Amino acid sequence: MDLTGLNMLAGWVASGDIIMIEQMPIFGGYCGGVEETAICDVATTLASFVMFNADTHLGGPIHIRWGITTSRETLQIAAHTAAAVDANTDLLLGNQYYTLSGPCTEMCLLETAAQAITDTASGRELISGSASSKGVVRDKTSPMEARMMGEAAIATMGRDIHEVNTLLDRLVSSYEKDFSRAPAGKTFQECYDVQNITPTKEHMAVYDGAVSRLRRLGLEIA
Amino acid sequence: MAAPRPVSIFEAYDRFNRGKKVREDTWDYVTIPTNALAMKDRYDIRFDKGIIPEDEGLIDRLFLAGMDMLVTTGFYCPDIGRTMEITEEEVYEGIKKAPTRLKLGKGKDKVKMKPRRGNAPSKPVVEGGPTGAPVSEDIFLPMMQGYAQEATVDTLVSGVLSTLDGHPSTTNTPYEIMATMAEIRLVREAMARANRPGMCI
Repeated sequence: MDLTGLNMLAGWVASGDIIMIEQMPIFGGYCGGVEETAICDVATTLASFVMFNADTHLGGPIHIRWGITTSRETLQIAAHTAAAVDANTDLLLGNQYYTLSGPCTEMCLLETAAQAITDTASGRELISGSASSKGVVRDKTSPMEARMMGEAAIATMGRDIHEVNTLLDRLVSSYEKDFSRAPAGKTFQECYDVQNITPTKEHMAVYDGAVSRLRRLGLEIA
Repeated sequence: MAAPRPVSIFEAYDRFNRGKKVREDTWDYVTIPTNALAMKDRYDIRFDKGIIPEDEGLIDRLFLAGMDMLVTTGFYCPDIGRTMEITEEEVYEGIKKAPTRLKLGKGKDKVKMKPRRGNAPSKPVVEGGPTGAPVSEDIFLPMMQGYAQEATVDTLVSGVLSTLDGHPSTTNTPYEIMATMAEIRLVREAMARANRPGMCI
């Protein structure tokens, strides 16, 4: 925590604002492997509340090679951290989304769905996204990804964890093999009618294709 | 032993100033990996194949390992070059102080954030938006309106305006501040155009 962060927090605390602290551990970085990163994630999540006056915490373990939250390893870290904190406290937890592929691609929507399923089933209270194309390419995000995030969460809530794990294994296997050739996708201007703020027919077809794929994998998504 | 009181942000600053001096590279390359590995062994933290944990014993041991990591290691402030420490009692006192319910937004657009407890049959709050990704000035408003009009979206998270009146919103420049203020105005306008003016940002 640097002094800029401490000073901003002091202002918000003094003003009585609701404070969300964001912290994203790096898998494969200083912490190490999945277990060590999850241990550090639990520690820093707790620190956000008990040292720095957070009211809610936004996580998002990041893969050091891919720069995303939707890899198998980072989903596993996020799920274990959330489950550990959820089982032992009433703290309010969120998670944020960084996909490798870009908007208007099936892979982008499947990555988003995988994380929404993971976050919902592991007890998180808020899901925040999505920063597609790793959140670094200008205009490469789409509201259809937020729709997928919400619909996948609704289709997951209340389901048996073992069933969810089986589904997730198949879902993540369907896209992780393409990490080295992830589709770049399109900009918002290219996949929306910007005047009427409506997704293009192509974008809707891609979304419907992802929904069909998820249904075949066992997710009863609307 | 009970904690005298929860730690505040101001107490955290004081503790950093009184804390142990540590070099940043020592913290990054030695302290963190060494202690994380020690906690993994001490609490027998081994993940199986599943993405979501099904072993309740592992879930509880992971919580204890994270707690021990925080209490044993403390937290580092790179600007001050020192660590602050906290006791286990203070951690539990801080957990008790944290809210267990939040109301986000106002009017009919208000949503409640409350503990879900595992995979409860309740929807998490869905926060839609570019999540800090860069967005061109000319499409910022329609893009944010696109998120606000989505039925499953409850609250909004903004993108980052790449420019303001053509000026790059570079960090640590006056345009960063102006662009941030403009983002808030534009997100509020997007919510109004989507007929959801009370959404939480």
